[in-house]
This record gives sequence, structure tokens and C-alpha cells, in this order.
Amino acid sequence: MCNERGAAIEPVAVVSNERVADDVGRVVFDAPRTASSIEPGQFVHLRIARGADFILRRPFSVHRAYGGRLEILYQVVGRGTKVLAEAAPGEVMDVIGPLGTGWSVPDGATRALVVAGGLGAAPMGMLVEELAAREVDVIFALGAPSAGRLIARQLFESLCRRTLVATDDGSAGTCGFVTVLTPEVLERERPDVVYVCGPEPMQRIVAAQCAEAGVACQVSLERLMACGVGACLSCVVATSGGLKRACVDGPVFDAATVVWERSGDAEVAR
Amino acid sequence: MSGRVDMGVRIGDLQLRNPVMTASGTFGSGKEYAQFVDLSRLGAVVTKGVSVEPWAGNEGPRIVETPSGMLNSIGLQNPGVEHFCENDLAWLADRDVPVVVNVVGHSVEEYVAVAERLDGEAAVSALEVNISCPNVDAGGMVFGTSCPAAAEVVRAVRKATSKTLIVKLSPNVTDIAEIARAVEAEGADAISLVNTLLGMAIDTRTLQPVLARGFGGLSGPAIRPVAVRMVWQAARAVDVPVIGMGGITDAHDAAEFMLAGATAVAVGTANFMDPTSTMGVVVGLERYCEAHGVERVAGLVGTAWPEKEM
Repeated sequence: MCNERGAAIEPVAVVSNERVADDVGRVVFDAPRTASSIEPGQFVHLRIARGADFILRRPFSVHRAYGGRLEILYQVVGRGTKVLAEAAPGEVMDVIGPLGTGWSVPDGATRALVVAGGLGAAPMGMLVEELAAREVDVIFALGAPSAGRLIARQLFESLCRRTLVATDDGSAGTCGFVTVLTPEVLERERPDVVYVCGPEPMQRIVAAQCAEAGVACQVSLERLMACGVGACLSCVVATSGGLKRACVDGPVFDAATVVWERSGDAEVAR
Repeated sequence: MSGRVDMGVRIGDLQLRNPVMTASGTFGSGKEYAQFVDLSRLGAVVTKGVSVEPWAGNEGPRIVETPSGMLNSIGLQNPGVEHFCENDLAWLADRDVPVVVNVVGHSVEEYVAVAERLDGEAAVSALEVNISCPNVDAGGMVFGTSCPAAAEVVRAVRKATSKTLIVKLSPNVTDIAEIARAVEAEGADAISLVNTLLGMAIDTRTLQPVLARGFGGLSGPAIRPVAVRMVWQAARAVDVPVIGMGGITDAHDAAEFMLAGATAVAVGTANFMDPTSTMGVVVGLERYCEAHGVERVAGLVGTAWPEKEM
């Protein structure tokens, strides 16, 4: 799903900005150029504020894109997302986008498993819409620390044949990490492809389960990122093919190529 | 643009159409930014550091944002000079912009090997010898923080190249004037400074350094006053041109460096937030000259010195 129009800097205005789960916000931007060209799993590099206090943009995956608008889910974890959470409708920021290499749907795939932990649900909205449009049968495994932090559950339930839920504290669905749900689905449903996003240890575990089951697996990795366009080499991911850039070669990688030990569990961008 | 101001400056044998360059490591080899910037409007493109063999760089995390700046410890990851010539340089050769190649090495011999390999490449206008990277164990800043070591590298590279030779200095020294004089004496055609300041950030939640390597190089507006001071000191110590950098985000920042004695400037970290920031500096610097009745941008150089007036 490569993009022929390429990236550009686009001013974007906040349409709405509200809390959708504990610690999680959803901001909708008016962004016609980016919204019409972004593919599932790609990201935008957002300038949240101007001035010497903010030196770097923040990369965000796009949850949904429709009618000239971009929907972004974010967790308030640092200075940037704190300012983002306070942005009022009408406020203007800018994005560089669309950026990166997103999800791909293998030829002939008819069954997919999508696995998301916490804010890992963010890049899954466009993906599930794409899979539904291609009439791929989708099982969704959604995990979160607690019921109040389950993200976009209704969207996934509306587009997927089954949506399984796991919470760390058992306040919704199965008690435990989302990885307790996946082995049984892999065995019983035999998906053609598995898509994963969430905390890196979780991604590593699901990737290993897929490797054992002989199922293709794609992971969306998060790295601290500066330029976002492939120049600075801040966001590298160790793969069997050498160091790759999460911003250009990723953020979505074939899990079988990722060298997990060397990549470590990088602290997520704040 | 009105074109009333003569924006050209000279660095050694190299004539630049304007004084605005890119800072090594922040602009790739230009290709990644060509979608945002008309490279032919730049004074020069300065490439990422190039070594004789491929370097893997450091473990991640490699960067973190800090107050008005950022720390990096990329570690000069690059695919080596052969790959660079076949890919990056071949692409840059058609871009109508002078190319300055940043040269790195673990040893004097490695610097020389890269310089020799590039000497026959017509697309290379100048070399910038990087003796100031704080993120590698051998080479880099080790050479740039000692006068005899800096002199040894420059002497050897000078013999190996006929190109314009720029030497990039580290701010992590007690006396920048002394280092500047040492590399000038060995035949440097120009001096560029500053590279990043050695810094550190510790995550108070994990109780660990944020960068995998612990230390990193601080860049961005946070270091600008330090950089301006060091450019002032270096420019007053040597006769060769100085290329000033450190936290430049707009034309006023660039003018500040020229007033301190820089003949040219480089934009680095600002490219990350605004990929077009170099263009803003080019246009803004011309407007600045017009507003101050300066007919040649070179007329700004060192104007803040006590013995000079604009």
C-alpha cells in the first residue's frame, strides 16, 4: 500500500478533542490532503506547538481517516501529549504526512487476526475498515489494563466477526494480558495473517506465537523519532536485513525479520 | 526575492550562492528533504558522516527531547564511503548544489582513507573533517579535544585531499581558540563549529539514563549562546573563514552567528521541526541585509566585534 502522492506539510485545524477512555484522548483534525492519501498503518508527524520549548514533532498513527478528517488517539504521557489534550477546536497545528510504510494485506488472505494492547488499538481502525472493505473475516483480540482503558471497542465489534477482550485486572473479558487470548485463536481459526500493535514485549510474544503456528505476522513498532523522513537515524529497528528506519521502512515490519533482543523495549515517544 | 543583496560567500576555493548550509547528520544526504526543499537554493548540502567501512551506530534509544534542545547518540551510523559514492553522491551530483562530505574515522588512517577515496569525486566540493562527534568511543571527539591530536588528523587529511578542507570542532574544550589555531596551522581552509555539547538525561521513573549510551550530544536553541560565544572566539583567533552553527532556527539566529564572525552558517536540529527552515533562513537573511542597508551579506561578518562597524 505505497503512497504515490508523497508526504507534505499540511496545516491542520482541530475539529474536536475529547477523552474517550481513561488517560486516552481522541483528536479530530481537518486535514483534507493527508486524509485523502493516507493508507492504513501510516503515520503523521505532528507539530503540537511552536516556539523553542518544543524542538521535536510527535509521531502519531492515524486511527481513522474520512471526509477530509484525521482521527488520532493519544495517551497523555508527557509534555507534548499534555498540550495536545488541552487543544481546543479551531486551534491550528501542522502535520507532515502521510509517512512510513503501513499494513499490507497478503494476496488471497481471507481470515485475519488483529491483536492490540492498550494504545496499540490506535493504528487498527483504518486497518479493520480496510479488511472489512476487502471482505476479510476478522477476529480482534483487544487488551487493556482495565475496562476503562479499552479503546475503540465498539468500532472493532461493528466490523469484526468476533472481538475478544482481555484486561490485566479482569474488569472486562478474560483476566490477563491479550497474549492469553491469541494461542487459541491461532489454533482454532488458522488466520492467514496476524496484525499486532501494543507494548513491545506483547508484540514479541505474539510474534513468537505466530512463528510457532506458521502464520504471517506484521507488527507496528514505536520508536523515539526526530526527523520522521528517514534522515536522522534516530528510530532504527534491528532486523535480519540490518538496521531499518521505523519512519520510512516501518513502522510496520514483518515480525519474522525483527531482531527483538537488539531492539530492546524502547520507551515510547512522549 | 529582490536580488539586491549580494548573498555570495567564499569558503576556501568554494564559492557559495548564499551562506546557508545544512548541519551534518540532520539532513541525511539531502534526498530525504528534497520533497520539501529546493536544494539548489542552499549554499551547500553537508552530508551525514561518512566512514571508510560501514558503521552500525549505537543502541537505542538514540534521542530525547530536552529543554529547548535534544540529545542524540546516533553514533555515526552510515553505510561506508563506497555505498555513499554509489548512492548518495551519485544522486547529489545532479542537484546543482555544492556538496560538503562530513568525514569520520576511528583513526588517522581511516580519515585519510575516506579523504583519498573522495578526492577523485568531482561531485564533492569540500570535506568537513569531523573531529568532534561525542558519540563514538574511538575517533571523533578524541581528536577534537587535544591540539596535537587535532593537528595530526588535519595534517594527514590535508596531504590526502585537494578539496577545500573544513574542520569541525567540538565545544567540549577549555580553549577553542587554541584548537582553531592548531588546525589552521596544518592547512585547514575553514573551521566549522560547534558540534554538540556532551550532555545527559535520566528518566526519573525508570531511574536509568534515557539514552542507551548514557551520554549524548546536545543541540538546538539551548546551546546557541554557547555556540555564538565559541564562534566569536574562534573567528577572532584565525584568518580562515568560520562556519557557525548551534541552534539556528531563523534568519536572526543566523545573522547573530555572522555578526559574531561566521562567514557561513548551518541549520541543524531545526530541520526536524520544520523541514523548510533552511529556506526561511535564506530568504530572511536577505531581508535582514536589506533592512540594515547591507549590500553584501559578507559585510555582516564580525560586525559585532568592538573594532568593527556595519
